[in-house]
Amino acid sequence: MMKGGYTGKILRVNLTTKTIGTIDTAKYEEFGGGHGIGSAVFFDLVGDQLPFDAFDPRNCIIMMASPFSGTFMPGSGRCEVQGLGPMLYPIEWFGHSNFGGRFTAQLKFAGWDGIVVEGASDEPVWINIVNDKVKIESANGIWGMDTWDTQEEISRRVVPDLKYGEWAELAENCFTTQIPAVVCCGPAGENKSRLGALLHGPGSQAALCGFGGVFGSKKLKAISAIGTSDVPIADPKAFMDARLWYRRFQWDVDNPREAERFGTGGPYALISGRPSGGNTLNRDIPLTPARAAACASCPRGCRMRLATSDSNESVCGGTMTITVQGSTKFTRQGNDLMQKYGLGHWQLIPLMGYVQTLYRKGILGKGKQIDTDLPLDRNGTFGYADTLMRQIALREGIGNDLSEACARFAEKIGRYEEDVNSGELSLAYYGTANHYDPVIEAEWGFGSLLGERDLMLHMMSNYPIHWMAWSGDPYLTAEETAKLYTDAMEPYQGDPFMVDHSDGPTGIYSDSKVKQVAWIKHYEKFWVGAGGFCGWRWPMCITNNTADRRGPTPRAEEKFWNAVTGNNLTFADYMEIGHKIYTLDRSIWVLQGRHRDMEVYPDYIYDRPTRGHDMTMYIDGKWKYDTGAGRKLDRAKVEDFKTRFYKFEGYNHENGYPTRATLEKMNLGKVAAALEKKGRLG
Amino acid sequence: MPGDKKAGNKESNVKKGLSRRDFLVAGGTVAAVDALIASTPAKAATPSPPAAATTYPASEGYLVYDSKKCAGCTTCMLSCSLVHYGVQNLSRSRIQIIQDSFGKFPNDIQMAPCRQCKTPVCVQNCPVGAAFVDTENGNVRRIDSSKCIGCRTCLKMCPQQPHRTVWVVIDGKGKSSKCDLCLDTPYWNEKGGPGGKQACVETCPMKAIKFVAVMPEQKETEGYDVNLRNDHWLNLGLVDNSTVVPKMDLTWRILPGGEE
Ligand code: SF4
Ligand code: SF4
Ligand code: SF4
Repeated sequence: MMKGGYTGKILRVNLTTKTIGTIDTAKYEEFGGGHGIGSAVFFDLVGDQLPFDAFDPRNCIIMMASPFSGTFMPGSGRCEVQGLGPMLYPIEWFGHSNFGGRFTAQLKFAGWDGIVVEGASDEPVWINIVNDKVKIESANGIWGMDTWDTQEEISRRVVPDLKYGEWAELAENCFTTQIPAVVCCGPAGENKSRLGALLHGPGSQAALCGFGGVFGSKKLKAISAIGTSDVPIADPKAFMDARLWYRRFQWDVDNPREAERFGTGGPYALISGRPSGGNTLNRDIPLTPARAAACASCPRGCRMRLATSDSNESVCGGTMTITVQGSTKFTRQGNDLMQKYGLGHWQLIPLMGYVQTLYRKGILGKGKQIDTDLPLDRNGTFGYADTLMRQIALREGIGNDLSEACARFAEKIGRYEEDVNSGELSLAYYGTANHYDPVIEAEWGFGSLLGERDLMLHMMSNYPIHWMAWSGDPYLTAEETAKLYTDAMEPYQGDPFMVDHSDGPTGIYSDSKVKQVAWIKHYEKFWVGAGGFCGWRWPMCITNNTADRRGPTPRAEEKFWNAVTGNNLTFADYMEIGHKIYTLDRSIWVLQGRHRDMEVYPDYIYDRPTRGHDMTMYIDGKWKYDTGAGRKLDRAKVEDFKTRFYKFEGYNHENGYPTRATLEKMNLGKVAAALEKKGRLG
Repeated sequence: MPGDKKAGNKESNVKKGLSRRDFLVAGGTVAAVDALIASTPAKAATPSPPAAATTYPASEGYLVYDSKKCAGCTTCMLSCSLVHYGVQNLSRSRIQIIQDSFGKFPNDIQMAPCRQCKTPVCVQNCPVGAAFVDTENGNVRRIDSSKCIGCRTCLKMCPQQPHRTVWVVIDGKGKSSKCDLCLDTPYWNEKGGPGGKQACVETCPMKAIKFVAVMPEQKETEGYDVNLRNDHWLNLGLVDNSTVVPKMDLTWRILPGGEE
């Protein structure tokens, strides 16, 4: 029982009653940690009251750490946030979003396996966690601040004599040199924007689902954590040995393999584990002096901190949402402004695009059908970006409607059906944007559709293959890739067609693809969700960092988990817990109204021939990299795929509801009872 | 050895407002035990220090590091904590990595390992000899936490900022500890110390910490905070001076249909 990895207690804060309590972690150990425990706690607390709205005080914000948080488990520094997501559409699904940095590590050092926030305060507050001392503090003077000032101000309030570079004695014998880890919403969240993100540090945001808005609805500005206590490890020697063993899978900074191929700024940067490659805004000569910056315990360090401190710790969408033409400096600062307002980049990107589309069509603009004083002709300038973001964050003018996020904005102006189905507004999954091509990289599409939002798990099958193929210089042949990749996919190993992206008999509609999508959902729920893994690090089925191109998956996961927790299960056992967590999440969606009929793409995804993308395909008896250009997705075959997927997972194929037998086998009998009460047992 | 100490304390040059680093430069070997102890709220009885030595045999090992290469992942800290105590806790680490996410490179990170000083002021001033030079193990400057009486003298005396002596709770009591170059690592299958391995060096993914046998220049941090980067680092597009140009092309080939 609970030998290592856990602190043993989850913090429970009720903002309505202003009470602070605890939940025993042991009660939920069967769910692993992180997302698994979060879902189980959510179900226990409010499952019987569903459905209700995301801004209802009954909604919870759950931020669970994992047994790995606070340990040196590589790439485990993320924090999973769960609750009903106001960004999601048409129902505010029970969703998840996560962010990197140091928050869960500090939460664990403070002695907590996670935090559950219930209710809503009547005045602005923040939660102050210093070891076992937890206080609900007034956010007077902080409410209204941007996310950067908020964090700085809160750090000062937590440790009043905080001196950077000195020890602070938080309580007798409790020393730290670390700055408190703060996660907060910005002005966008305060105004219940459905684009509201949570920010930690300058650039780590939980971008999806709109949890910043949920913070705002609870009048919760921030949570700060700092701690000085131990995270127990069941088998320290085995854990140390595992960490040293893992080094062979890392990018060797002093002597990388095939540096010429992998060392440039190109696509390999994304898949090779090469440090600093996530910031796209420091590639022009002269370079701004910078370091690679890592989340807690990450051997990659995909982020940067710069001599100019702009775009610090932002990566990918966080450096690519705002473009100020002709100026890297203002582009960085524009993206930073987004972080300060606390706007979720992955929703802001399609929203900004849609505003311009409507403007070009003459629908939106000064004196137009949708009247706005936005300087739309100045798109690409800092002033335009600032004005637009400010209006959204503060709900000024047109911003009030835009703040409802893409889907609800389109609905409000009466264009949802037309623009989403045509792809003018390129949403794909429950109000979140289209991302990797679901027509070719079908597992990404199915994995999202059968979830609650864009999958956002880059290391899942498609990504290492996608970028390797795109480089024009793949380090494995298509056949080698298919074999090596699927070797790692326990317990379904040995079926190379899981990564066949053709539309032939073994391709994207096949039973092999069913297995791959199940694998992705189970991995997502257990290792990424319950384990707090980074989707840019895990899983790693192939890698260019080893001579035989094999990655650490699946051996590393079980090795580390067992060393930390003292359990003795196999990778496949843990994947089955992932299946259980997925089934629980799915049950919660069903309680909210999910039915298989809702698990469909907008029309444009079926009807628009794809430009395609090089991926592994098995065509005419041969493996090759092919683009599939011109392919259209077949509705009937997608439906047939879904039918087989539901059956494979133990759900009723007519409606997609989990069955009693499946739930009971997973020790989820009470979930079956809740579904039955609603008449939605599969 | 602790017993080798000779009287060495001359005068107080430590006062509020003078940083530890200023003190290091100004004072070097000179320590102001009495003044400091007098101004420190007593956590335990503070007996007078034994006569302190002025010279010590040089340590046979040192950690040097590259604070521009460090990514702030704290793996080194957690390794240090793990191999010594079997738990993970940043506060138990004998190397401290301090960082400000909002800061400007390179000042956003400060690496703070023990320097194995030529004149270890921590050893010199420990009133009970718990801090000592381990002549049997490469002259490593060590603290035997079990002998520590909790007076905090070594915390005050270590001239580095932050002090490299690390306050840890052992059996419910506050005790001092410090880097032993991994001599005593009950939770690691490797042998440490000057002839062996160091956990932080082994696990650092950026190879930003290095063990050296020769005493670094003792002035400021110059001898310790060194350049451990080669061209491969530069080719990541990470420069410490904007006039430097990587050999490799950092731009992306833009192909149609590419997402990021
Ligand atoms: S603890 Fe401080 S005084 Fe002692 S050897 Fe280390 S750096 Fe020098
Ligand atoms: S050498 Fe060993 S004791 Fe010293 S800081 Fe590194 S891990 Fe800790
Ligand atoms: S392990 Fe290396 S990169 Fe990570 S914090 Fe320590 S010195 Fe820096």
